[in-house]
Amino acid sequence: MRAWKELQQASFYESSARERALGLVDEGTFRELIGPQDKLCSPHLPVLGEAVSFDDGVVTGVGKIGARPVFVISQEGRFIGGAVGEVGGAKIVGIFRLALGLYEKIKAAHPEDFESRAPAIVYSFETGGVRLHEANAGLLAHAEIMEQMQACRGKVPVISLVGSKVGCFGGMGFVCVSADAVIMSELGRIGLTGPEVIEQEIGKKEFDSADRALVYRTTGGKHKTIMRDCAALVEDSIAAFYDKISELLALSYESLQRYRVIGTPALVREQMELVALAAELKPRDSRDVWAHFGNEHPERIPDMEVDEFLRTAKLRTRKGG
Amino acid sequence: MALHEINLTIPCAQGAAAIPADWAHSGVVGSGDMEVLMQRGDFGGAVRVKIVTPVTGYDEVWEKVLRKFVEESKISDTSIEINDNNSTPYIVAMRLKQGLLEMKEAAI
Repeated sequence: MRAWKELQQASFYESSARERALGLVDEGTFRELIGPQDKLCSPHLPVLGEAVSFDDGVVTGVGKIGARPVFVISQEGRFIGGAVGEVGGAKIVGIFRLALGLYEKIKAAHPEDFESRAPAIVYSFETGGVRLHEANAGLLAHAEIMEQMQACRGKVPVISLVGSKVGCFGGMGFVCVSADAVIMSELGRIGLTGPEVIEQEIGKKEFDSADRALVYRTTGGKHKTIMRDCAALVEDSIAAFYDKISELLALSYESLQRYRVIGTPALVREQMELVALAAELKPRDSRDVWAHFGNEHPERIPDMEVDEFLRTAKLRTRKGG
Repeated sequence: MALHEINLTIPCAQGAAAIPADWAHSGVVGSGDMEVLMQRGDFGGAVRVKIVTPVTGYDEVWEKVLRKFVEESKISDTSIEINDNNSTPYIVAMRLKQGLLEMKEAAI
């Protein structure tokens, strides 16, 4: 595996789950928990004759950013599309529990300078949702992760990262946006029903999953940034994600809350207004939505470099700014 | 339909030495790919191999590839565990060499 310094310049999109986990925290601080040498493989896959992995497709561990312990969850898309099974799901839930446990300990030990020492969670999503081979356990894992995310409210900040090959789809799309903030690259994609599944269920006329430009316009990082589902769009490098995590974690817990998209009655109302807007606008393409939010030349947006996009694109105005 | 398991004990070559770290992991179980976990152990100089794969009927090919790797890399007292997802013999040979190389680089 590449060293930390080399990883910083590496493409986030092309990096493995373990490389991302190592590179997202300070140099030399990452320690994997329940790693490959623990050999916790899925008990369900062998019965079906499907290949297993020592980490069950999820890298979990802890590192530091500055003085803060940062718990890391990183999903591997190359292993069964990053789909969540029983063991991988339990590892993810375990990380949330550890972070919450540490929160209480640090709070008791350092009441004076607690804020600068408080633990955080970063979660690099690369998944299609439930692993169908172990569907019940996978679904249950989704529910447990959601519950843990709620348990973290008001205590441990959770930051979602999406910029890997598989994107973040299925039930994990819900989980991802329930975090305090979402960081994406323009190659990142978030959705519920994946493009292939929409095409399979409703037809190619409704959604042509082979049309990459359409897929990115509908689910990609730039669209999610304009819609304000994504707090920050960054370049495709591990360093860019690392820098943005550091920037967001430097904010107080209170000010980080302005990036939340769901989780309060006011935020639910804001989402409901968007549903009403969609019914009124009847957009035929994301470009219609971008134009509605004030972008005069929406057709130029997909070709823009990230810095030009951040400089010139008009984003949806959020309630309360 | 269950996964196929192959267990081998391969005597080490002359002048073989232990691996340069207690353990090392490399690779991802992607389609047509594999991961390997190498760990130091006391096996009286031998190398113990465990392969878990969906593929059946290629045990002799696996054994040839692993014997060649143990012979050429001159390692001893090591357990090699492989989780495979339909890798070709060439990929297996390459991933094993890569795993050892990464371990040597990390040990420097």
